[in-house]
Amino acid sequence: MSEHDFHPLVKQLLDGDLTLADLPAELRAEGEEALSLLAAVDREIVAMPAVTWRVMATLERRRRRLRPWLLAPALAIAAALLFVILPRTPRPAAAVTVRFELIAPEARQVSLAGTFNQWDARATPLVRSGANGTWTATLTLPAGQHQYAFVVDGVRWVPDPGAPAVDDGFGRRNSVLTL
Amino acid sequence: MRPQTGPADGDIVRAVLAGERERFALLVERYRDRYARYAARMLGSVDAAEDAVQDAFVRAYDQLEQCKDPDKFVGWFFLILRNRCFAERRRNKSAAPLEAAGGIEAADRTEGGAEAAERRRALQLALLELTPDQREVFVLKHVEGLSYGQIAERLNTSVASLKMRMHRAYDRLREQLRDHT
Repeated sequence: MSEHDFHPLVKQLLDGDLTLADLPAELRAEGEEALSLLAAVDREIVAMPAVTWRVMATLERRRRRLRPWLLAPALAIAAALLFVILPRTPRPAAAVTVRFELIAPEARQVSLAGTFNQWDARATPLVRSGANGTWTATLTLPAGQHQYAFVVDGVRWVPDPGAPAVDDGFGRRNSVLTL
Repeated sequence: MRPQTGPADGDIVRAVLAGERERFALLVERYRDRYARYAARMLGSVDAAEDAVQDAFVRAYDQLEQCKDPDKFVGWFFLILRNRCFAERRRNKSAAPLEAAGGIEAADRTEGGAEAAERRRALQLALLELTPDQREVFVLKHVEGLSYGQIAERLNTSVASLKMRMHRAYDRLREQLRDHT
């Protein structure tokens, strides 16, 4: 027992097994010190209202059960997508480099979510280039079919108007890229 | 503790496993804030706690079939969150104290004034110097208000073992707080 250790009876006080009055007089001051320690415990409730949405969004993304939001007309995002299949790079066979472009001059950020990144809207940001609001990203994807959508400003899921699309099961459309 | 309304946990778990996946949100809604404080005090950071709670729910969903007694979902979920908090502290030991101080400041606006604020801040920082096992038993007893018996049941350990951890924690906290003052 070091000089810092509380007396065993004071520990019982902290545990709630004794009261201050139960302590011998010579331990009262130590008991009061101990109780002041407990008085400083922060029991403030911590609320996390966003967690429900974040959990369910994560589960939905992973299950590809997306509900891309329709582009609100008021946003006036002049969206037009080009994807350009570039010559094969010297990567393993069946990998194809693809450039995605979206013209969205009023967007603050654009990203790409699709089967190739587990529909993670934060995984593949596009880079703005030029004055006309063109956003681009170049990816090397395995050959095969991929579904995707653009995510504008983190919340608006925009299908590619220049690519074929399929129903996502919820009445919305996912763009389809076949390599 | 607030009375629980709505369907029982076990009914929700069974419904989710039967394919009604969206009903998992009821469990998240029901327990996220109850365990938010535990995670925040264990990690010393509300932001880190929010990530931990979110991850724990996603892991719980992924492993829901392994929840052997759906009526005891909350105890099972707690152990997932606990593991996540312990892992986070191992990964990121150095980052928490600064955020802990910030979190305490936010709480201080409601009661106590500057001196009480400083005491709470000092205690929170001292808690972060405990071992995770010591900190956990302190948080469960003195923040969450559980008895030793309830904690022992939750952690599947003995009351004697918990008391030993706690009594060491008291001594270390005293030492830390004396150094602080």
